Amino acid sequence: MTEPMDFTELTCTNLMIKLKILLNKLPQGDRVAFFATREQVDNTCSPFSGQGYQVSWDQAAENRYLVRLGK
Amino acid sequence: MVSSTFLFCDLVPGERLRWIAETLRASKGTGGVPLSMTAFLTGDALYSLVDARTRDSWRTLADRDGVRVIADGDELGLHGLRDLVASGSPWVTVAGSQDEAPFWQSLVSSLVSEWKGTQKAGFLLCDGPYMSRVTVYMVRFLSAVQAGGFSPELYTYLDGVHALHNGQRPSEFENIGRAIAGISASSVQAGRDPWFAACSRCATARGYYQMNPGTGFCEPASAIEEIAIRPLKEILSRFSGNLPVVSSASGDLVPDGWGGDRVPRLLVFIAHPPYCAEWTFGGLSLALAAAMGGIPATVIFIEDGVYALHGNHEVPAHDKVFNVQEMIAVTTDVPDLEYFVHGPSLDDRGIDLLPGFPTIPRLRNEDLARVFLKSESDGTASRLIFF
Repeated sequence: MTEPMDFTELTCTNLMIKLKILLNKLPQGDRVAFFATREQVDNTCSPFSGQGYQVSWDQAAENRYLVRLGK
Repeated sequence: MVSSTFLFCDLVPGERLRWIAETLRASKGTGGVPLSMTAFLTGDALYSLVDARTRDSWRTLADRDGVRVIADGDELGLHGLRDLVASGSPWVTVAGSQDEAPFWQSLVSSLVSEWKGTQKAGFLLCDGPYMSRVTVYMVRFLSAVQAGGFSPELYTYLDGVHALHNGQRPSEFENIGRAIAGISASSVQAGRDPWFAACSRCATARGYYQMNPGTGFCEPASAIEEIAIRPLKEILSRFSGNLPVVSSASGDLVPDGWGGDRVPRLLVFIAHPPYCAEWTFGGLSLALAAAMGGIPATVIFIEDGVYALHGNHEVPAHDKVFNVQEMIAVTTDVPDLEYFVHGPSLDDRGIDLLPGFPTIPRLRNEDLARVFLKSESDGTASRLIFF
């Protein structure tokens, strides 16, 4: 099991780019897991659900969320 | 008529002067509107006025109607060029701080006459203090903005965020931290509204914005109070406004009749190779964040920046760096963002685009003229920033 990546220090723009790159390489049915801040979840992760991806998250600590993004 | 003001503080390669000259020439041939251009040169850019590889290009440019070249007289003296330029280049206006129209005040005047109605002017600082004298030029510029009755704005980005380090105590150089604090204080005292900010990503990377484990949020560390740490998107929201923004290599295109009622376009020139320094990543991030914030952004890979699109970039497994080709490939669908590559820059280097790479339109100089003057047709101003 791979450790979730920590993306909490990426800007929302760079997180969006990182996720698009990861999703491009992701086989259908797989998902990526990573840590993000509340702002990143709201601004960058949530909008992926409108693009046909599955997005879910759980709070891991104050302002730290474990996000799962799959296709 | 479109007015244009350029500021160059760094070395100006002959290649840049050639494409600027050819683009200007082409703009006439393509039915472009008349362009009035003033180029302000300071720092290392002054060498291009005497260098045999570039001086004739400047002279040819200056011979054109509506083109003026203004050199920083104080910096000419520092660089040992004042007599040479004053006597050998009558087409250059030398403006020192003791002259009737000092260099930095002239620059501010030129900018605010284009950006009609503006109450402020900003500097995008990408270089750190002491290693780079660009920070001194930033201080000169913002001081002139403040003295001219306008509110100064400072956006520190990439290594520019080092300007916010507290406790700066250079023995031989002007104290940049103290200078920023002084401009801020005098601006507030004069009833103006200074806005000084540092990019939070860049500040975090350099240790000025640290996570408080108790709250889970970042807080400034070792930072002067006058510069707030803000997300890049918040800094870029300032670019939506009616104000000139300069950097160490920058320009603008402002059509007559500009009323400041539209969002200015952003033209980002990626002119450095992709990986050894942060220029390419920084320029791309800025353009993307701008586009995602509703500012139409155009990225042009030019000069050594074309190496970003050549060859197949593979990040080694142990390395941690953004693959700029992947970054470009996944963002070609971002609304309000367009990519171009300068064909002559590829040709000069004898290289081409990576086969199979998403299509990036190739621009000739006459096409570049159209991109430059696109804003004129819809009455929108453009900001040009070189990375």
